[in-house]
Amino acid sequence: MNARVDIPAQVEHRALPPVTHDEYARQEFVRTFKEHLVKHVHGGNRAVYEAKVKPAFQRKHKRAPKTRFEVRDEMVREPYYQMFSALLRTSQEMMWSSCQIPVARDLEALNKTIKQAQKKKKALGSLRLNPELPIPKYHTAVDIHCQPGGYHTEFMPEDASAGMVYDRAVHVYAMGQMGPFNNDMGASIVMWLKKHYPDFSPKRILDLGCSVGHSTVPYAEAFPNAEVHAIDVAAPMLRYAHARAEDLGVAVHYSQQNAEGTDFADGSFDLIVSHILLHETSQRGINNIVKECHRLLAKGGMMIHAETPPYAGMDPFDAFLLDWDTRNNNEPFWSRSHELDLKALSQQGGFDPALEFEDLIPSAFQVAQATRSHKFQGGDFGGGGLWFIYGNRK
Amino acid sequence: MSVGSTLKRKARGERPYFFEDPSVDRVIAMVMGLAGEVAVLHDRLDTLERLVEQQGGVKRAAIDAYKPSASVAAERAAWREGFLSEVLRIVESEVEALATGDTAKYDTAIKSVETDAPAPKRKPVARKKK
Repeated sequence: MNARVDIPAQVEHRALPPVTHDEYARQEFVRTFKEHLVKHVHGGNRAVYEAKVKPAFQRKHKRAPKTRFEVRDEMVREPYYQMFSALLRTSQEMMWSSCQIPVARDLEALNKTIKQAQKKKKALGSLRLNPELPIPKYHTAVDIHCQPGGYHTEFMPEDASAGMVYDRAVHVYAMGQMGPFNNDMGASIVMWLKKHYPDFSPKRILDLGCSVGHSTVPYAEAFPNAEVHAIDVAAPMLRYAHARAEDLGVAVHYSQQNAEGTDFADGSFDLIVSHILLHETSQRGINNIVKECHRLLAKGGMMIHAETPPYAGMDPFDAFLLDWDTRNNNEPFWSRSHELDLKALSQQGGFDPALEFEDLIPSAFQVAQATRSHKFQGGDFGGGGLWFIYGNRK
Repeated sequence: MSVGSTLKRKARGERPYFFEDPSVDRVIAMVMGLAGEVAVLHDRLDTLERLVEQQGGVKRAAIDAYKPSASVAAERAAWREGFLSEVLRIVESEVEALATGDTAKYDTAIKSVETDAPAPKRKPVARKKK
């Protein structure tokens, strides 16, 4: 893999916490550390597996490992895998830490900036919070993907720190490969919709589990006549998302709601989307979310959920490595969410399974990059150049 | 760098250790923390060199002769304190887990999101005054 070229810096906006020389250098180190793992360390696991683990398994069992569990039980004893895992976990912890430091430095002032950014003279969108909303257990049992305090914790009144930390961390996590606005998943679905449904013109759009609205904004830009709503259970994310959208000049109506059951009327939306939301929930949660999508969609509407690909049909070693996050990056529902019968999921939600669809769609950012440089070499998170989508028409 | 007085530092959830002896994991985390801080210094030195090249200025003898004032010495001591807290993050996070009661087995989290059993107990985040 060659060095990546032409990865643009994250676009700065008023809500994004400023960094000092050294804070920026520290975040840059983590990004480089992660790139290094992907380029030079990750692949060694496959090498160890093929050279050592698989032949030993074959000698003992007279067959190759059939499941990711059989692969796991052998690999966890391999010093190489242990080192890889220790480094990857550490890189994740350092990522959050490096993004917390500039936020903690003067949180009160940063929260004031967020409030100012939300109060534009000519407001475009809106923010509706509900302090009584219960935070679902899949957010409180562990802090998802190891963000300390998760999405929902407030460290002072009217706090947006979770959003401040998260916006920068996503850029570091994806090593810039989600684009300068961290918006690749939303932008990729928009590109897919424009290609496959050029006449589809949704009047009302809802983004579920929107966090800071990285993926929400591209819909508002692509469908300027649509009313765009976005919900999340976490108030700190929504405060930040609202400030960010206002500063970027995009109208989004944010509200603090659980996607399992919202206060919108039946048939309110023509397009409902989510981006790496489903794996952060639970079996009951995901069932409820699909039911709610069915209730909220108007006839002829469409729901689309972006995720990483399911394990079905995947080589057991690849599935084992893709499953790393379940235990090691605080993603308890990751495994099960990658093994769902999606047609059955749609059906229990009230959808016609004949109108269910699944697709691997190209990354909008990578397509743009390839056009620009003609030298683009894929990386890692999203580096496959593809997103998996699951959806249903109503 | 007193991040801990403002934000929570340890992500809730039992941390995985990968080596037979978890001390190895700890040392790796420290080494990488140290590497990160060395990289920060490298960038800083690089900035200094570029600025000196562009704008002229500092003689080596002046650097050798520089004596920090009490306030500069205090600033540097505070920097070192923050530096060590980054390098030794892994050690601190284990203590934080004990301090916040974040000690439940991770498997219980996986099970609990699917059942009515209560989530593993956690203490409320203490809001410290500045």
